[in-house]
Amino acid sequence: MRRHKSVQYLILAVMLLIGGYAVGRSFASSGDVLRPGDKPPSFRLADLQGEAHTLEEYAGNPLILNFWGTFCPPCREEMPALQQQYEAWKDKGLQVVGINLSEDRHRVENFIRRIGVSFPILLDTNRRTERAFGLREYPTTYFIDANGVIRQIVSGPLTIEEIDERVKSLLGSA
Amino acid sequence: MALIQNTKCECGHQNPVGTVLCEACGKPLDEELAASDSVLEMRYDGMARRSQKPHPNLIDRIWNFFSSVRVAVWLILITLVAAALGTIFPQESAFVNLTDPAAYYRENYGTAGAIYHALGLSRTFESWWFITLLVMIGASLVICSLDRVLPLYRALTRQQVRKHLQFITRQQVVYVGPIQGDAEAWTARFAEILRRKRYKVRTDGNALLAEKNRFSRWGPYVIHIGLIVFLLAVLMRGVIPGWYMDEYVGLDDGEIEQIPRTGYFVKSLGFRIDFYSDDELPEHLKGQLRVKQFTTKAVLYECVAYCDDATREPELKEVAAHDIRVNSPLSYRGLRLYQYDFAEAPRLISVRPTLVDKRTGQSYGPFELPMRHPPLTYSVGPFTLELRDSFPEFGLDENGEPVTLSREPNAPAFVFVIKGPGLPEEGVPYLYFPREADRQRFGQDRINGAAAEMFDIRVMSMEDVEFSTYTSYLNVRVDRGMPYVWTGAAITMIGLVMGIYWNHRRIWLRIDDGVLSLGAHTNKNRFGLRAEVAAALAKAGIEVDAKMLDNRRKES
Amino acid sequence: MTDWLQISSNAVIVAFFLYCFSFIAYAVAVGGSRFANREPEAHRKRWGGIGLWLAAAGWAAHLVYFFARWAGAGHPPVSNLYEFLMALGIAMMLAFFVIRFAYRHPLLGAFALPLTIIIVAYASVFPSEVQPLVPALNSIWLRLHVTTAVLGEAFFAVGFTAALILILRVTDFSRTDKAGRRARFWAEFTLVVIVIVIGFLVAVFGFRAAGYHAEFRQETVTVDARGNVIEQESTVEYGLPPIFKPYNSETVSMDPFLGMTEPLFETPSWMNGVNAGRKWNTVVWSVIVGLLLYGLLRLIIRKPLARAIQPALDGIDPDDLDEISYRAIAIGFPLFTLGALVFAMIWAQIAWSRFWGWDPKEVWALITWLFYSAYLHLRLSRGWHGIRSAWLAVIGFLIVMFTLIGVNLLIAGLHSYAGVS
Repeated sequence: MRRHKSVQYLILAVMLLIGGYAVGRSFASSGDVLRPGDKPPSFRLADLQGEAHTLEEYAGNPLILNFWGTFCPPCREEMPALQQQYEAWKDKGLQVVGINLSEDRHRVENFIRRIGVSFPILLDTNRRTERAFGLREYPTTYFIDANGVIRQIVSGPLTIEEIDERVKSLLGSA
Repeated sequence: MALIQNTKCECGHQNPVGTVLCEACGKPLDEELAASDSVLEMRYDGMARRSQKPHPNLIDRIWNFFSSVRVAVWLILITLVAAALGTIFPQESAFVNLTDPAAYYRENYGTAGAIYHALGLSRTFESWWFITLLVMIGASLVICSLDRVLPLYRALTRQQVRKHLQFITRQQVVYVGPIQGDAEAWTARFAEILRRKRYKVRTDGNALLAEKNRFSRWGPYVIHIGLIVFLLAVLMRGVIPGWYMDEYVGLDDGEIEQIPRTGYFVKSLGFRIDFYSDDELPEHLKGQLRVKQFTTKAVLYECVAYCDDATREPELKEVAAHDIRVNSPLSYRGLRLYQYDFAEAPRLISVRPTLVDKRTGQSYGPFELPMRHPPLTYSVGPFTLELRDSFPEFGLDENGEPVTLSREPNAPAFVFVIKGPGLPEEGVPYLYFPREADRQRFGQDRINGAAAEMFDIRVMSMEDVEFSTYTSYLNVRVDRGMPYVWTGAAITMIGLVMGIYWNHRRIWLRIDDGVLSLGAHTNKNRFGLRAEVAAALAKAGIEVDAKMLDNRRKES
Repeated sequence: MTDWLQISSNAVIVAFFLYCFSFIAYAVAVGGSRFANREPEAHRKRWGGIGLWLAAAGWAAHLVYFFARWAGAGHPPVSNLYEFLMALGIAMMLAFFVIRFAYRHPLLGAFALPLTIIIVAYASVFPSEVQPLVPALNSIWLRLHVTTAVLGEAFFAVGFTAALILILRVTDFSRTDKAGRRARFWAEFTLVVIVIVIGFLVAVFGFRAAGYHAEFRQETVTVDARGNVIEQESTVEYGLPPIFKPYNSETVSMDPFLGMTEPLFETPSWMNGVNAGRKWNTVVWSVIVGLLLYGLLRLIIRKPLARAIQPALDGIDPDDLDEISYRAIAIGFPLFTLGALVFAMIWAQIAWSRFWGWDPKEVWALITWLFYSAYLHLRLSRGWHGIRSAWLAVIGFLIVMFTLIGVNLLIAGLHSYAGVS
């Protein structure tokens, strides 16, 4: 067969592209679970006053994003620690946002009032945001740097000290 | 120093380098081959399949690698073994919610399981090396076919009628014998006999070429095209956004949920199980409960406003409704909702309790109290009930404080503040458990204290209770690649049928000085070809046993 | 009201015996031709013809089983392992008739009939009660899938039969070099495996006829997908005397056997699943009875079975056998592709909303398909014709059998709807 060189090259190139893509995808496809180094998916949720907030609002400063629910004992236990750390670091630029796992507003308000939380609480609806984040366990806390990149993901309750060290490293790298 | 191969045949035709049998007359070009007596190798009719270059570069080497049938067979066998390994233990993808795969395999299957997981075999079919194998098979399909289909086409379309005697007498099926009478007349008669056997016959005086079912030679290439389309379609499903979705939605009766990542919502109007009736059951099973069918009456909505705005309720428009059953999904614009599973999960949906003023004996209401997203105020007769707190699954934490144990209304409780005539301004707090069992368990009356003397909130009859017995699980899928998948499969099947159930037969003959030389070739089913040739010869007056036509006997 | 199911089970017995008689006629045709005083060709033709008629009669009875059961159950009988194997037997006879129509040598019948008899007997091991259909199985695509796949597999079985005859025909028993001894070993080994399968049938039916029963209570510990540890207690029943009792179990009751009142051993813990002990015990019994049978046959015949059979195979050309084997597989391949892959994908898409899920049974169907496509590609090269193709056809059939039976019994998944053994 008189091989047409250009046709050969073309075919091999196409195969390489398609093949490379297929193989590459198999590395990435461990589901939509977020990992440190990823950027979290955007959201637009209402706070307790009914005002809408988006993820982009918090860019430019380090952010602790905490997913919690009143039905989850470790979530309840760590809330005071989060509040305390918020008060300690907010003047240095730290933002803390709690995203409630699709519970009724009045439940959330009662709990927040009882604990005395002053950082913003957003209400997820229909489990949409928790699914977008690929959450499996509660609580899950995302430590996000000023550039919007996730530095650490912690599943399970956090103590004051544990939050403290992570905040320090977030601020240190700002 | 390149060897100069003699490529000009004695018949005068100039052949390309690498030709085995002359393209025109079929005479073996190689000296050794011409001198021997063996049956000729008829692959591609002896044409040069590839130009043998003295120094193949990298591209040539890659091309030759994928063009080789041996490599293709190896790829098939390796894929086969890899797939078998993937069946030893259940794959991770078989589980909907596997939180710690390493632990699961180690604990259930011991060391073998731990090794299995560590090697990645628990994710065999999504692993990069398995995908690589499939990609290589795809490459092989493309390159093998391209490399062969063109020479084959050239060989078959440019066939000459009169072939060299050696070509004819060294086919698989051969007859040589004397004939009487005029050569041309005999040839013409034989041509007629063959035409009646559905051969296409070309004659050249005292030579003849009869051919049938050439199309079957394209079968393997059609198969390969079909497989390529199939593989590409499967790949596209993952590439093109919106082409593929696989989600699960769990619905209680009356519940509506958004289908994740879409603007669609689905509502279950009710889930129903049909059991086989006793007359439908065979003797030994009568009296037993066997599931015949389970159905979800479903309605599909599309969000038309406020869809991504979590601060407001989305506005929905109904677009489709269907009774979803196991083999009958709800289908709407490429979106399909299948009945996947169900679980027995009795849950309250809503109650309509009555407020009894124990002081006067008057009852007021009933009022509608849904378990999910209950409103904050209720006006019941002269009284107003304000909802202060609610607990989907009431429980007490270690300090004895009320908490909810989950988000599902498994043991609902509501804290009302009752305001109205004869009551203090700040109202009277009242804890209400819709389920009698919870009311008893947590001692509702004891907790409410004085309020329990004043009021009773209670459901009067079972008609005021709406509950769901089952949670229905629907599988939501979009698969726009499917038509291409089926197309690929159909093309493959056509190729298989074309290539295997018909065979390509050719008969050459020539008469030289009263001697008939006949040679025939087929790509499969030589037995049938011999029988057909013997029958044709018999019609022409030559009796010969089919077995005697077999040219292989000379060499066994 | 006609008791269709009773007619159906009677028809099975009639078919079984007719097949056995047909086999005897074929055996006489093939074996007796060496002793026939008149021409062996006429003897073979006569007894081959009788064998064919008996096989056709048996097949008619077998079809009665199928249609009567359909009438009695309300749906075509292809929905559990028993029905499936019986359908395979019907298809195998059909494939045999088709191939025999093209190549008229009684040898094929002498080997194809016993294979069908074994399949029918094997089917009868499994529970045969009619079960009402699980919702997922209630679809026309299921029936198309099963019947077409079974037809393809039947042709593979005929290909296997011809390949086996070829192997026995050409194995040179006079060779003493390493390659020659290896060839003789593997030919004999294949026959031993077949004898063990027969041993399985003898063991199961023998003890069933004697009414043997043993019962155990077993405790299993598994870990589910969420990491929860689940402890379960279950009852395991044995139809064969327990050489190996289930792992971590205690005997509830046990019929004595040959002085054995206690189970001899315990199944190793790494064999998973509630029924692992029973299956392992059955395998061990099959091997024991099979080897005993084999030993007995060797004592009587005084030479390896393969060598004993070989002289009877003289009347057929190995090249023809090679062609029969190849053609059968080639005919079966598109049917198998259509039934086991394409229709299966269509049905899976409708029932489970995904056309392919890498379920073990699906994967093994793919493995079978890949193997036979490798076979067809290897046949392009002349060097692979003859004995090498024959061994490939044997291995291919083993893979088919594993896909049908091994996956159900050994591997769990969506497809395991087999029953008891």
